Amino acid sequence: MDTQALWLTLRLALSTTALLLLIALPLAGWIVAGTGGARALVQAVVALPLVLPPTVLGFYLLVALGPLTAPGRLIIRLLGHPLAFSFSGLVVGSVLYSLPFAVQPLVAGFRAVDPALLEVAATLGAGPLRAFRTITLPLAKPSLVTAAVLTFTHTVGEFGVVLMLGGNIPGATRTLSIALYDQVQDFNYAAANRTAAVLLAFSLVTLLVVYWRGGGRRPLLVG
Amino acid sequence: MSARVDIAPASPRLHLQMLHRIGTLTMDVEFALTQPWTVLFGPSGSGKSTILRAIAGLVRPDSGRISWRSAIPPRSLASAAFTVFDSSAKKLMPAYTRGIPLAPQAASLFPHRTVMENVAYGRRLEGDARGGAIDETLSLFRIGHLAGKRPVELSGGEAQRVNLARAAVAAQADGLLLLDEPFSGLDVALRSGLMSDLHAWAASRNLCVLSVTHDVAEAFQLGAEVVKIADGRVVEQGPVESVLTEERRRLLEQLGVGDGDTASSEPYLSG
Repeated sequence: MDTQALWLTLRLALSTTALLLLIALPLAGWIVAGTGGARALVQAVVALPLVLPPTVLGFYLLVALGPLTAPGRLIIRLLGHPLAFSFSGLVVGSVLYSLPFAVQPLVAGFRAVDPALLEVAATLGAGPLRAFRTITLPLAKPSLVTAAVLTFTHTVGEFGVVLMLGGNIPGATRTLSIALYDQVQDFNYAAANRTAAVLLAFSLVTLLVVYWRGGGRRPLLVG
Repeated sequence: MSARVDIAPASPRLHLQMLHRIGTLTMDVEFALTQPWTVLFGPSGSGKSTILRAIAGLVRPDSGRISWRSAIPPRSLASAAFTVFDSSAKKLMPAYTRGIPLAPQAASLFPHRTVMENVAYGRRLEGDARGGAIDETLSLFRIGHLAGKRPVELSGGEAQRVNLARAAVAAQADGLLLLDEPFSGLDVALRSGLMSDLHAWAASRNLCVLSVTHDVAEAFQLGAEVVKIADGRVVEQGPVESVLTEERRRLLEQLGVGDGDTASSEPYLSG
């Protein structure tokens, strides 16, 4: 069992979840607030990682964050090193890769809040921010938990993006799923078996918790 | 009748003029409120609720102008007048800045808040003043004993009273209060008492109340000014006795009371 990889995976999943919720909350609020071409485009882009091979995302990030592009050069100048093949780079990749898993449950949860409640709140003098904080957010709390759990689990399970963007640097970018791949390459099936079992058990238990809380009624992902 | 009309033109509290299309209904409405309590009367689908929603700021009329002013201007008359909507001046105040509470027809209580927290939502005073106003309102609507309950535990009538209390407590003194079918779903015994108490309470705070109903008896019991709406237009406005005479005669006929013998034998209508 590669405990260093285990800790790295958990650290990556936690950072990604925290960062992604900060991004997804306003983004989902904005998507729900109206309609139009811009919102359709943003929703399509947010949903892309669901259908795109992770290697495609990883490839573009590798190029975009490297010295070939202006933003990449800016990052290199600011940090002194490229984001690719570093833990921070992995966090950036994971945030993009797990975006739909955070945004879509939140959008579904916000949409399920009865608009009549928000109308009443407005006539009682509550502005959009107060209404969001006191009505929408508390009523969508189960969706918030779902978004956090799914993001965390999905990040733990990612492989393609990590492989393309992070490589296999112990302590920096070597996650459990990469470790498993390595162990199989080395014909170390006993170690691979233990790693796979940990990943399987973890994912199953988290999903079980989500469905248990929702009574199995609430869909995990609703476009 | 004449006495009331004489006082009326002096100071409209609210003036509304709007053109609006919803589905197949074309609304062309204009009226001014001069009395403390006015009833919008008309069949369902005649656009009554839409008028309330336009005043509150939940519907943007296609064109027109809505303005209201406080009965007792705090300092100068000008500072107490508000134009909340004016299509020609491209002015549209968002609902939350208007300070015009609307109790919708469906109670729409906040499900995650207790009765007390629902009622207090619109009241942003601090300390004793806040507590006093809220306790007073809770007892006015006979919901003091429900204060700690969640909306899901309430009956339909109880939820409706919480809905009314929540809007009433948020009404500014001298301000406007909009009630959509406020007494529907309440049992008859409670209804009469609540109606007269709310009427007195609104008068004591100098509120200007606009309520929607299609119930003739309710209009008579409130003894209010009536704006009669049909097919998106104002057909008549005036004291209830003159505007709804025909409706009342028909109702009494249906009840089997007959034309000659009027309200005296029907205590519910005697107001």
